Amino acid sequence: MSQQKTSPTTKTLVLAIIALIIGAIIGYGFAATTMVPYSKYAELEEKLKQAGGGAPSAPEYTFYYVSHGGPADPWWAPVIKGSQDAAKLLNVKVVYSGPEKFSVQALVDLLNSAIAARPNGIILTITDYNALDQPARSAISQGIPIIAVNVPDPRPANQRIPYLSYIGQNEYDAGYYLAKYLVDKGYKPKRVVIGIHEVGHIGLETRAKGITDAITQAYPGTPVEKLDITTDPTKAAEVFKSYLTAHPDTDVIFTLGPLGAHPALQVLREMKLTGKVHLLTIDIDDTILKAIDAGELDAAVSQQPYAQGFLPVVFMYLYVKYGIIPPPQVPTGPTVIDKARLETVRKQIATTGGA
Amino acid sequence: MSSISKNVKPHGFIARHPEIGVLASFFSIALIFIVRVPDKFLTVPTLYSILTLAGELGVASIGIAFLMITGEFNLSISSVYALVPMGVVLMVNLWGVDMLAASIIMLLVAYGIGVTVGYIAIKTGIPSFISSLGMMMFLRGILLAVTGGFPVRLERDHWLTYVLNGPIGELGLRTSAVWLLVLTAIFAFILDWTPYGNWTYAVGASSNTARELGVSVSKVKLTNFGISSLLAGLAGLMALSRFRVVDPTLGQGLELETITSAVLGGCLLTGGYGSISGTFLGAFLIAMTRVGLVLAQAPAYWYSAFIGIILIIATVINLFIVKKYVTSG
Repeated sequence: MSQQKTSPTTKTLVLAIIALIIGAIIGYGFAATTMVPYSKYAELEEKLKQAGGGAPSAPEYTFYYVSHGGPADPWWAPVIKGSQDAAKLLNVKVVYSGPEKFSVQALVDLLNSAIAARPNGIILTITDYNALDQPARSAISQGIPIIAVNVPDPRPANQRIPYLSYIGQNEYDAGYYLAKYLVDKGYKPKRVVIGIHEVGHIGLETRAKGITDAITQAYPGTPVEKLDITTDPTKAAEVFKSYLTAHPDTDVIFTLGPLGAHPALQVLREMKLTGKVHLLTIDIDDTILKAIDAGELDAAVSQQPYAQGFLPVVFMYLYVKYGIIPPPQVPTGPTVIDKARLETVRKQIATTGGA
Repeated sequence: MSSISKNVKPHGFIARHPEIGVLASFFSIALIFIVRVPDKFLTVPTLYSILTLAGELGVASIGIAFLMITGEFNLSISSVYALVPMGVVLMVNLWGVDMLAASIIMLLVAYGIGVTVGYIAIKTGIPSFISSLGMMMFLRGILLAVTGGFPVRLERDHWLTYVLNGPIGELGLRTSAVWLLVLTAIFAFILDWTPYGNWTYAVGASSNTARELGVSVSKVKLTNFGISSLLAGLAGLMALSRFRVVDPTLGQGLELETITSAVLGGCLLTGGYGSISGTFLGAFLIAMTRVGLVLAQAPAYWYSAFIGIILIIATVINLFIVKKYVTSG
């Protein structure tokens, strides 16, 4: 709860820091070209002039961005773009690597190859803290700092991997505030079903737990069930259909990503239940925004993925270059998008490629 | 088949019906659901739901069963399953090509990919498991690179989508189910009643014998590679027709699921033996288990464990039948 209260201030702080950096870079560049250096920083300014002058010079640092989100998952496209944009601004090299299909083993392998490359910093999703614990600790002991993104290490502070900071959404909060949105609107669900498209994925399971808690805290005794819908649309659609047949009193469906939301939407349309059965989802794409606009989908959570690519690179840069220690947690969401907030989100998508 | 059944006259019926194993599993599983939830399981909408779920999987599995009887594998079908609809959507959206024309072009491409996988395997002597695994990864990489990981959306309406996967009536029957039934009938007929079917069995059982008997082994194999790829592409178009969206990850895991249906249906991994109607039942059994478990209000996460046990039991029964009645003669 407390993090939710601090998040606007933290966000402002983050924005201020970014503005400062960008301002500083532009300022330095400007100063270097137009002013005669005459200050106690003259030497530094001269160095910066040499470094910044002329064509793009060799990257100052190399960071590895190791994530469970491969190129297959469209959600990660703005993250990759954000990390590369930040790299360009700061003149660092960010190597993004993610397995093609969700696999913890592949993630561990990628982390090990990243460590072997001896980068200046590693940005890592802690998708499975058991599997990643040993390699991540070994990286830190070798002097490679780690910033966690997207999925944190859920253990208490004295047991978790000693990373600098966690930047991203709290998965539990994403589910919790999405379900709370429904509760706050005064809606009392009769039966809730959560479609989970990658069972055993800790992030998705935690989202589901957040949803379950928000509903059952508000209305104890409300049945909330998880459904394995797989990533295949036909299977997801028919499994939802079977569930609605087995439990005709179902009036709220939660999905945990577009791979669940698309087939759920299709089934509600086919069964002529749109508007009657409430549909809420996490993460956003074009189809989901259109459905919100049309009133077929109540709300969706955006975790502003571009920021999860951009910010860790900035924080890593500040740490490696200046020794600025980032705050322990920098939230990038959850923001619940309903019809009233569509315009702002469309701007984010137009500029960053996703929301 | 005919050559085999001559040797095993006394038990010819069982030997000629590899679907016995899957039938046994099918009835025992169905019985569980019928006892647990008779009011919800034994309904027409449930049957339609199962058939819809089995639709794309079944169509792709038929091609795989045909190929497995020839003694070969094609893992690349899971990527073809996404490549064909993706190509169609891009052609329709970007160049305004008619969906029917685009579909025909992409299905020909799919056939070509299948033949290529087979050609590589036959000419170089590497197992088709490997050549198709490579093709699977190659095509998936292309899909991801071209789309940047984003799903593509079919922007125009076309009558073909209703033909391939449109609703029939109000109870949930879809044309995809009809396609599955019709294609099962056609390919079962080809396999058991035409000379081509006989060649397929012969090539799978012993390619040397088949060659001596005058069958063009590589031609039969290449054709079956092409068919498996073509049917996977058609199944992909069926998925597209319902959801109008193609995700670049569409079909991942389908390669193993089709093999599961084929093996459940009595196909041997070593070739030479199998059944199309059995494969249909295999896909139907997989779909029925998924739907049945949800209807029976079983905890959602048990599906995979259930299918695993069914697969092993059915395969043991199949192997027993093969050992006892087919190879003993």
